[in-house]
Amino acid sequence: MHKHNFKFEWMQLQRERWVAILMIVFMSLCFFAVSNGKKKMSIRQSEIATSTSIVDEYEGNSKKIIDSLNAGLSPDVSPWTNPQRLSVIGNKGARVAAMPALPLAFVATGQSDLFTHAVKPTLTGDSYMLSFTEMSNPVQLLFGSFDLAFLCIYLLPLLVLGFSYNVLSSEKELGSLRLMLAQPVSMYNWLLNKLMLRFMIMTAIAWVSILVAMLVNGVQLTNEIGALVQLLLLVAVYIMFWFVIALIVNAFGKSSGMNAVVIISVWVGLVLLLPAILSQTGNSIYPIPSRINMINEMRAAEAETTAKADTILQNFYRDHPELAQTKEGENSYSYYLKFFASQDVVKEEVKPVLDEYESKLKAQQNFVSSLRFLSPSLMAQSAFNNLAGTSSLHYESYRQQVVRHAGEWRSYFLPRMFRDEQMSVKDFDQLPVFVFSYEEVESQYGSDLIGLILFTGFGLLFSVWVYRRHTREALFS
Amino acid sequence: MILQIALKELKELIREGRFRVMSVAIAALLVVATVITFNYYQWVNAQHTAAKENARNVWVSQDNKNPHSAAHYGTYAFKPKYPMSLIDQGVDKYTGLSIYLEAHKRNEAQYMAAQDQTAASRFGELTPDFILLLIVPLFIILIGFNSFTREQESGTLRLLKSQGVSSFTLALGKWLGVFLPVLIVTLLVALLSLVLLLSVRDFGELNLGAFTLLFLFFLIYYAVFTNLTLWISSVSRKSGVALVILLAIWMVSCLGMPKVANRLAEAIHPYPTQNEFLSAIDEDERSGLNGHDPFSEEAKKLEAETLKKYGVDSVQQLPFNWDGLLMQKGEEHSAEIFFKHYESLRQTNIAQTNVYRASSVLSPYLPARFLSMALCRTDYQAHWHFSDAAEKYRMKMMDALNMNFAEKTSYGDWAWKADKSLWKEIPDFSYEPVTYAAIVQGNTNNIMALMLWLLVSAGLVFRGVKKMSVV
Repeated sequence: MHKHNFKFEWMQLQRERWVAILMIVFMSLCFFAVSNGKKKMSIRQSEIATSTSIVDEYEGNSKKIIDSLNAGLSPDVSPWTNPQRLSVIGNKGARVAAMPALPLAFVATGQSDLFTHAVKPTLTGDSYMLSFTEMSNPVQLLFGSFDLAFLCIYLLPLLVLGFSYNVLSSEKELGSLRLMLAQPVSMYNWLLNKLMLRFMIMTAIAWVSILVAMLVNGVQLTNEIGALVQLLLLVAVYIMFWFVIALIVNAFGKSSGMNAVVIISVWVGLVLLLPAILSQTGNSIYPIPSRINMINEMRAAEAETTAKADTILQNFYRDHPELAQTKEGENSYSYYLKFFASQDVVKEEVKPVLDEYESKLKAQQNFVSSLRFLSPSLMAQSAFNNLAGTSSLHYESYRQQVVRHAGEWRSYFLPRMFRDEQMSVKDFDQLPVFVFSYEEVESQYGSDLIGLILFTGFGLLFSVWVYRRHTREALFS
Repeated sequence: MILQIALKELKELIREGRFRVMSVAIAALLVVATVITFNYYQWVNAQHTAAKENARNVWVSQDNKNPHSAAHYGTYAFKPKYPMSLIDQGVDKYTGLSIYLEAHKRNEAQYMAAQDQTAASRFGELTPDFILLLIVPLFIILIGFNSFTREQESGTLRLLKSQGVSSFTLALGKWLGVFLPVLIVTLLVALLSLVLLLSVRDFGELNLGAFTLLFLFFLIYYAVFTNLTLWISSVSRKSGVALVILLAIWMVSCLGMPKVANRLAEAIHPYPTQNEFLSAIDEDERSGLNGHDPFSEEAKKLEAETLKKYGVDSVQQLPFNWDGLLMQKGEEHSAEIFFKHYESLRQTNIAQTNVYRASSVLSPYLPARFLSMALCRTDYQAHWHFSDAAEKYRMKMMDALNMNFAEKTSYGDWAWKADKSLWKEIPDFSYEPVTYAAIVQGNTNNIMALMLWLLVSAGLVFRGVKKMSVV
């Protein structure tokens, strides 16, 4: 009987033109979304490549200059550009700390449009004050980008609902329901069967569209089978969730027209309103600690310590090293050593303010982030961002890893400067290298997926309850 | 007759459960959004006032120090919030809230709120503009999609026509039936926000003209959606079909087009990345005059010229401290470099803005969105205006500090310290926002686009109703 059901449904669906139309529309949108994502990804990668090549070029030149200095030639270098000086390489030769895109980064822009992916923490710079802000037209950020995640989170549910809002009501309206019910099959099972088939078709359409869009845009599918499977699984679970919503709406046994309006309201509620309400409530119950207050406290701390730092090195020379003179017989880096000492004095006062801010912010973000478990679309968004490596957590980790690298960078130079050493050609291989580690970021994909499955499961249970209570009554009254 | 039709429509609507639920929901959302946003702004505003005072305090309470050290120490310019940002936050959370003013550098605004929020906030927040611009049009669609199809389906259109109702009367009656509830909800919100805004003084001066204009634009925007809804309803045979088409129109115009316009703008006029922008400035700084680099060619030229002008043969003999002048010239030179690069950024921004404006042809949402941000002074242009003012102030501040150093000291006197009274002599940063007249003038394109949408969509309704045949 089940087989029969399936076969009949399939025949019916085949006759409807719009399965084909749906497929074409969705596929072209997918193509556009993937091409958008790829474009963003390539800008990101080329920015990293350009920054790195500038540093590489600088290193190459520096080695040449050192070689010719060693050979007794006198190339045109001032003390402020002489690559033998550790202080010069530490600042001008600072390496790029880059966050290369994950293979699936094109799936979701996430937070990637807010941050730069290549920074160069220098020897004398304050790593904790490093700016990670990407330059962009804020209107771009406001409107967001048309990526695969947007398409799946916003549009897929509508397609699902359009595909299934009247499975029961249309049978009733056509009068075929009575005939159907004469058959020895439970109506709930029959409805479930119908929707199951549609779920499979819809998922197939989505999967094929996504894969084809990727192939056409030149994505190497074979490279990241694992992540790809995760992506397809996520899409399927999300589609399933929306079919369960359709099942519930159908089970109330109302007319097709009524179902359509209800279903749109549900979509507006779940996709547009709920996330907005949750993040607003989150931020109201637990406000983001104030950046303005942080600046105030930081300035106050700075003001207090300047006098202390001045006893080590005059303020003026801290800002303008080129004016500082080294006495005969003194360590040639004595200026820098004093600079670091006075910088540390300020840092010791200012950093706690920043650290406290960071930890408060982290707690706030954790709270707001946990609210996502109340909204399927927020969970889906978080899962997409995690697959793409563009979530808030990724950028937070990037910042931490960069700060750590800045520390290593300084630790390489500081002891050598104390020993008054010079940079040699082979020293360049010893310089600390930054490699961004994605492993350090705890992925939320798993918990998001489980959350979505739980939502789907509860929805299914709810549909049984609705069926028992409403369906029969509504259909036969 | 028009009124009768409108009243009948309203009566029918009110009798319907879904309308009641929806209007209560939307009114509740708007009220909640307004109150929450209002609280948030009060909180931010209080901090803002404190921060502004604090920044000035920190500046004037500096000890005796070299004026150039004070220039490096710098100060902060905080971007003020305006009363109407209660209605529309615009791009505020993407632009940063303060600009650090220091020697040698024009800084971008720091600390954009979006970076401190989680990705979830990118879905949008429950603020009045979110409801007013995105959700209310949906509400219009949901109450009006079957205005005509219902008559078709139940056969009452035949009756109506037999009464000799003109299509004009019918269209207008139906139109009012859909528009009046929206009008009521909108006026309710306007009234609520007005009361809230007038209840607090420190929120700044509220311009009633701009406030009225803003809500007028919202109403025009809703009129456009009412027109589109009635038009589709008049040309569709079935309610279901009308609903699907209208939903697609809403999706394209409110969700799709803004993102497509983004892509177009970036593809045609790409913004530089932070690294590109900064290294282009660096490149110019390297090849140009740099007040701190005695090896620089330009500085040598300036030195020769100055010596000749004063008829002396070494900088030590000049009647002022050469280093001070050199530093000021360097500052001016780097300001020129910054100006050049920011100018080209501005051109890119203008070009991108034109792409958004052109995209308005496919989306009434876009002109409404830009108009609303502009009037609430939360758009990108407002940010530019602030950033330019801050830069101007920075240059004045640097000039005063460097020239003080040049005039009060002699060559080589780096250890000299200015008296702390100098800090007070530098006036505080005060900022006058763009006038509303300039805002309206700068947005004539958007106003015209919205009007065009109104006219075209009204024409479509009449055409649709006229052609509506009884089946």
